[in-house]
Amino acid sequence: MTCDEARLLIGADPGASTPALEEHLATCAACARFRDEMRSLDTDIRRALERPPDVARPRSGRQPLPWRQWALAASVVLATFAVLAVWLLRPSDTLAREVVAHVQAEPQSWLATQHVSAQGITQALRGAGVALDLTSDQIMYAQSCWFRGHYVPHLVVQTARGPATVLILRHEQVRARRTFQEAGMTGVIVPAEQGSIAVLARGAGDLDGLAGQMQHDVHWLPDAH
Amino acid sequence: MRNSEPESPVSSISGRLSAADADAPITRLFESMRPDLLRFAHWLARDRAIAEDIVQEALLRAWRSRDALKDPSAARPWLLTIVRREHARLYERKRLELVSLDEVVETHASPGYAEPGGELFELRHAIMRLPIEYREPLVLQVLGGFSTEEIARELALSATAVLTRLFRARNKLRVICGLTPAADVPARESPP
Repeated sequence: MTCDEARLLIGADPGASTPALEEHLATCAACARFRDEMRSLDTDIRRALERPPDVARPRSGRQPLPWRQWALAASVVLATFAVLAVWLLRPSDTLAREVVAHVQAEPQSWLATQHVSAQGITQALRGAGVALDLTSDQIMYAQSCWFRGHYVPHLVVQTARGPATVLILRHEQVRARRTFQEAGMTGVIVPAEQGSIAVLARGAGDLDGLAGQMQHDVHWLPDAH
Repeated sequence: MRNSEPESPVSSISGRLSAADADAPITRLFESMRPDLLRFAHWLARDRAIAEDIVQEALLRAWRSRDALKDPSAARPWLLTIVRREHARLYERKRLELVSLDEVVETHASPGYAEPGGELFELRHAIMRLPIEYREPLVLQVLGGFSTEEIARELALSATAVLTRLFRARNKLRVICGLTPAADVPARESPP
């Protein structure tokens, strides 16, 4: 593999890994550095895309028509009722489903082969109001993800049975432990000191051990919102 | 047409969630994905109102074709594909007024995202400024979780062409982040 071929692959998908690429990177420091840069950039791209663009056309001098203002107000009221109805009537497994959908949307998270630096973990925890006792050599993937209106730490922890995903959900309260199986994944959501913690693995498996460890290792910082 | 559609999944959400409605689970599933779909459409269309129209229309199409969804766990990529096609259809048929990014302002400021000088402000604007041929595969990959082969099928391109577009998209964004761009690759845009 040439450097151009390696950089094309890395630039197209920084999380990808093939034997030929790894072989090349083992002997080419420049391309290895390029991949580090692209992976860091990709983290920012993901964070940037996780929120909608929030763009609007600039205001012109023209006054909006009165009926448009009333229509807008009516739309807001209707939308509020609709959202409230969905919120009140949503099934109890919605949280689990959204956790699974979120993990499905980051398939590259399972493929990480190198542990995350302490700085990377700090960035993933930033704004979430938590600290971790876990050592960085156990964490293969760490992102701060936009989930249900908040940034939550999304970690992949290496266990004896393979990688497991952990989402620390400070703003999601659950009354009791809840297990689920969906999309080829097994998961458990457990209540925590504040909020809850979701643990998922591909295939079947007992996740209670890791969930219990996370309940112990996650420290909820005061005055976080 | 939209409002008179009796089976619309969006015309009456609360009514649709009645226990007697056998389609309530699929409606809830679709509705649970609306924020993801809207965000995806928003990055494609770069206009909130158009994105909402696209998602509305896509959900209607999905609802009418809901029997084709055999596996609910595949709903997300299925719906994202419908949204992408609806976006393409809207622009191809209606020739919508293009949004000039020079005239666009960012709203709903939040630290690090919308404030000029914020950490990702420049990057978000750079992504918005990417030509659609680069922005679309990037959004499909990063937000949609689509593989190169899936993007190639969806865009009727070769896998190599998709790799090239993704490479170029990120290479353009490298510059915004103060990194040296990599040497460009020859264009290979042949269909699969």
